[in-house]
Amino acid sequence: MLDLDSKVWDKCSPTAPFWGFLGAANALIFANLGAAYGTAKSGIGIQIMGVSKPELVMKSVIPVVMAGVIGIYGLIIAVIIGNNVMAPEGDVPNYSSYDGYAGFAGGMTCGLSGLAAGISIGIAGDTGVRASAAQPKLFVGMVLILIFSEALGLYGLIVGLILASKKGQPCDSYL
Amino acid sequence: EEMFYGWGELLNGISPYAWAFIGTGLAIGLSVLGAAWGIFITGSSLVGAAIKAPRIRSKNLISVIFCEAVAIYGVIVAIILQTHLDGPDPKLDGAVSLKDKFAGYAIFWSGLTAGFGNLACGICVGVCGSGCALADAQDGNLFVKILVIEIFASALGIFAIIVAIIISTQANFGADE
Repeated sequence: MLDLDSKVWDKCSPTAPFWGFLGAANALIFANLGAAYGTAKSGIGIQIMGVSKPELVMKSVIPVVMAGVIGIYGLIIAVIIGNNVMAPEGDVPNYSSYDGYAGFAGGMTCGLSGLAAGISIGIAGDTGVRASAAQPKLFVGMVLILIFSEALGLYGLIVGLILASKKGQPCDSYL
Repeated sequence: EEMFYGWGELLNGISPYAWAFIGTGLAIGLSVLGAAWGIFITGSSLVGAAIKAPRIRSKNLISVIFCEAVAIYGVIVAIILQTHLDGPDPKLDGAVSLKDKFAGYAIFWSGLTAGFGNLACGICVGVCGSGCALADAQDGNLFVKILVIEIFASALGIFAIIVAIIISTQANFGADE
């Protein structure tokens, strides 16, 4: 039924959607892990700091918001890659191996960068909010450090988008 | 002699129904694991803090409910995925069509997205809820402020199920209509 010796199966392998969906899934999974770590770790700092300085709590929610944005980066890439994976029509594949590997690369790029950025935001935010409660002049410094951490996730999003939008030749041209 | 030449042999060799059922099972299994982890983190802090401040008990049960919601997300995704799991097309007589392979991979990764995403979310909501209980025990005004952090944390579970549902929309086993 599937003629596995014909040329099209090398370039438009039936396993190509596996790699594409792997990229989409892992983009979200690792970005969520990073965002969860960032939210939880900096949340602990806010909670401890808030006991002695309740008026500073709402100002200190900045690292939590930034960690949430990391999760959104993963969501964006996962939706883009997931929508690029086309279902086959009958016996004709619609999604080439090139597209599959591109989606895999884009997803892993964004996801693992998001994990890294989330860990960074978590630890820097935790100590940052506690220190800026004790010394108010440190608030701007904390925000600057968090912005640099967030930029790491943004680099991953940019490169991931570039990779995920690469398209190979359509499978019809190989038939 | 059987030799595997690469990933293609391995991925093609596993039945798409295996991929799909594993994905569906992990969707709910890992989500419930995350919810459970979050509930025990929150619950242990809650009962410990309530020894000296019993007033916090009823209000802070909302943190436990946020963790439970993560498990509900997993149930929703698993139920949606299992509606895609139709039987094989009888006309093919046991062979696997291209569409079935696609559906197998899609449902597998959709389930894993929901599962691991909700695992992370559940643990995060648990840690935030634990801190909420401890802060509330020391100063009652802090409860609402720290709850804001927990709401950000539960948004991660929403992201996971959005991606899981988007990935699984095109997955169809069985006969073409």
